[in-house]
Amino acid sequence: MKTSDKEINIVFEICGSAGEGTISAGEILSRFMSAQGFEIMSFDAYPAEIRGFGKCVAHTRVSSNPIYSPGKLADVLIALNDNHAISQLSALKKGGILLYDSQPAKPHEEDQSVVARADAATISYGVPLTMLAQKAAGNARGRNMVALGAVTALFHLDRDAFTNSIKDRYGKKKQIVIDSNVNSFLEGFDWTKENIDKADGISFQGVTPPQTKAEQKGEKLIINGNQLVAKAALDADLKFYAGYPITPATKIMEILSKELPKHGGTLLQTEDEISAIGAVIGAGYGGIRAMTGTSGPGFALMTEFTGLSVMAEVPAVIIDSQRGGPSTGIPTKTEQSDFNAAMFGGTGDCPRVVLAPTDTTSCYDATVLALYLAEKYQTLVVILLDFFLSNSIRNIDVPQKPAPKMLNANIAPDAADLDGYQRYKITDSGISPRTIPGTPGGMFFATGLEHDAYGRPNYTDKGHLAMTAKRFRKHASVLAEAPAPVISGMDAGGADSGMGSGMGSSVGSSKGIPDKDGTPKTLDIGVISWGSSAGAAHEAVMTAAGEGVSAAAFSSMMLSPFPEKQLAAFAGRCRKILIPELNYGGQFADFVTKIIKRPVERLNFITGRPMAAEDIVEKIREMI
Amino acid sequence: MNTIPTDAVTSGPVRSGPDHPAVSGPATEPGTEPGTAAGKAAETAAGSAAGTEQAGYLDEKLAQVRAMDFLQYRSPDLPTWCPGCGYFGIMDAFYKACRELNLAHENICAVSGIGCSGRTPIFINSYGFHTLHGRSIPVATGLKLAREDLTVFAMAGDGDALGIGGGHLPHAARKNIDITFILFDNSIYGLTKGQSSSTTPYEMKTNSHPVGNPDTPLNPVKLALAYGASFVARGYAGDPEGMKQLIKAGTLHRGFSFIQILTPCVTFDKTNRTWKALKEKVCSLNLHAPAPDNMENAMRAAENEPYGTGIFYQDKDRPSYQDILRRMQNV
Ligand SMILES: Cc1ncc(C[n+]2csc(CCOP(=O)(O)OP(=O)(O)O)c2C)c(N)n1
Ligand code: SF4
Repeated sequence: MKTSDKEINIVFEICGSAGEGTISAGEILSRFMSAQGFEIMSFDAYPAEIRGFGKCVAHTRVSSNPIYSPGKLADVLIALNDNHAISQLSALKKGGILLYDSQPAKPHEEDQSVVARADAATISYGVPLTMLAQKAAGNARGRNMVALGAVTALFHLDRDAFTNSIKDRYGKKKQIVIDSNVNSFLEGFDWTKENIDKADGISFQGVTPPQTKAEQKGEKLIINGNQLVAKAALDADLKFYAGYPITPATKIMEILSKELPKHGGTLLQTEDEISAIGAVIGAGYGGIRAMTGTSGPGFALMTEFTGLSVMAEVPAVIIDSQRGGPSTGIPTKTEQSDFNAAMFGGTGDCPRVVLAPTDTTSCYDATVLALYLAEKYQTLVVILLDFFLSNSIRNIDVPQKPAPKMLNANIAPDAADLDGYQRYKITDSGISPRTIPGTPGGMFFATGLEHDAYGRPNYTDKGHLAMTAKRFRKHASVLAEAPAPVISGMDAGGADSGMGSGMGSSVGSSKGIPDKDGTPKTLDIGVISWGSSAGAAHEAVMTAAGEGVSAAAFSSMMLSPFPEKQLAAFAGRCRKILIPELNYGGQFADFVTKIIKRPVERLNFITGRPMAAEDIVEKIREMI
Repeated sequence: MNTIPTDAVTSGPVRSGPDHPAVSGPATEPGTEPGTAAGKAAETAAGSAAGTEQAGYLDEKLAQVRAMDFLQYRSPDLPTWCPGCGYFGIMDAFYKACRELNLAHENICAVSGIGCSGRTPIFINSYGFHTLHGRSIPVATGLKLAREDLTVFAMAGDGDALGIGGGHLPHAARKNIDITFILFDNSIYGLTKGQSSSTTPYEMKTNSHPVGNPDTPLNPVKLALAYGASFVARGYAGDPEGMKQLIKAGTLHRGFSFIQILTPCVTFDKTNRTWKALKEKVCSLNLHAPAPDNMENAMRAAENEPYGTGIFYQDKDRPSYQDILRRMQNV
């Protein structure tokens, strides 16, 4: 991706109360920026309650360079509601910009206005949002659009293109709705142009976005993790989805309820999550690709069936989009605290596959891979998403459709196998050729009891050992074809060695011999991370490298089985190791420590916000 | 392995041998001594005979069953139920129903929960899935929705279906999932050795309630009717012919078929649902109006005829879940 000469890297936050159009304003801003060719990463924070006046924040990072994390602090805070915005001031950069309603419907007590509470270094612009909305549409509903008009004028954005983005957003609504939104926007734009003396240095004028509009037409998707999971599942031939509503996974079910029937599949809303995973296992036993999605509370209910999937060797895919926990926890906050539950939850020696996408794009890859692995290895695959990945919006390249081999993975018995068919034949790979019901001569009995090669209950010590070992052997087979971990950072010559599927390749620099992944051979700091924290870790080591610290980041989408050898090799290159994650004590850190057998530094947050590169950088500085 | 010769019943327990020692006696969970009937794999396929040792009787019985060809639906594995258990009779009726419906083995799928009843699919020469305690209905639902071409049976004990799995029955019924659900109702927990279940009578002494069950029992037929099952019937384990007719009718019914079978647990219930008591009490349903789609009559019979057998209710016109989806989605 070519970066322009003049670079832009700005975090916008719009803060209001539920019902003030905060989230839709954020969405329009993101879509506009994407249409302009910028990289975006957005997410919303909103209350769990549907009604009421809870605080909403729409957070959007816009950049002319690749983005790996959402950015911790805002450059621009747009306050639709002073009360809530006051509590958001702590997330505004020192010297940041505040845009507020200078003539609210009800005047604030002096010290209750956001502008009064803002830091002295803040550059504040008062715009009469309510008044201008009234003027444009006869009511105050368009305050959010007035604010966007002001933003457009302030930062020299393309007014006409922005108008089109608004029209696109409300395109299906009545003309009067479109008109009042557009008019409010234009009022805000004109008023600001006329009345505001610009005191900040942010301007989009002269910035060449990384992609030209022509390039991105049809090639970019503005999408969040949930939407991408649903899309990937359809592309990967999903034919059955069962679910029970729960934030943040509900959307996957809702999308598939529309789309699955068009693809010859079935969606089942069940009475609970036990039933959902039960039905998925029934469908998997029937030979079609099936999946369910949930969050912590539902995943807890599914636990007994996860054991059955592994024991009876029936494919099943569960998405657990993590939220704050335990129990009902914090439904609309992000966390990475289901690591242990996904990896080790349940009873018995129960080898399962666990994948955790590290960014939006890899939600697609993980879903395709999960359906493939579940089918081929006849086992349970858990995909660990989180509230942030589920909901944060990125503009990404349209993913490549899965290769045919990914779509047809069941290893069926041949004629010889069917002669005295052993459904649970002991094999080196751990995979026993599997018939599906309806196959003459391939009948078998599946059970959650320990069993012999025919599937008949068998409780001998020898038998149990042989079957347990066989089930565990699948792990080695999975690992052999799983995507390699990603090691990223600055190579020894100072170039970004890249993240994502293409591992660092910029080998050979004058400043030292880098490792084969492109990062320095010996490292002061290695940052090992998983899931949605990986982007922040990558960005942090880049920043640290810029400050002269030799650092690299290691992450793996495969959590179980884990690429332990690569981990140990990476750790061996690092003087110190840092593990940032969004849980209280470091569930992943405990896991890594067991593998590398040495202490690690931990960085843990349960603030409900995604991992911030800035915090990791700060920790790295401390560690040096 | 797959086409079972009719003489399979003579071929001895498949599980015997050094690697697969025969599991003997009642399939109880380990821990305490099995009940009175320990140690004998039952050799009879008929329900009413207790495990007699007399070779003459067995020979005669074997000659009889060999003469009928429903045994092809029996797997080579010998049931591990206690001799005299009512479940033998249910299986007998099941095999015969399959035979008369001429079901292809590979298109039958029997899904069960956990309990003595849960073992049933092992003894059927078809695809079988022994799932989790209480969960046969969700798994059978997913399987049927995935594979409409299969004939899917769900089987469960009373503890299985109405206790731990009680949350699933209403939904399979109201959705009208096209499966046949057979409730092996012995009003006791068999596999765990005689604790009260959701259908144990009030005040009956059980291993979990030694001075009497304080709970009021559920009425399974009434529940099924209230949940909206489109086919509701009751059979009796001592009446293979009657059960066979019900299983056949339930299988042919397009939608959720609920069949309660009154059956004794000879080992852990010596007072209530015994063969003797059942024999005395069970009778044909006395529905006042012959039309089986009369819900009022069905409800009344469910209330007043706890031992009446036959079809309580059938709505032949109600579309199955998959029919409804097809209609709504226009495909
Ligand atoms: C989750 C769970 N809890 C408890 C058990 C132990 N258990 C096995 S079977 C059973 C009850 C069996 O009674 P019922 O369902 O009436 O079937 P029956 O044995 O009488 O056929 C219980 C409690 C189990 N297997 N799983
Ligand atoms: S239900 Fe009762 S009689 Fe039948 S096998 Fe179980 S314990 Fe024995």
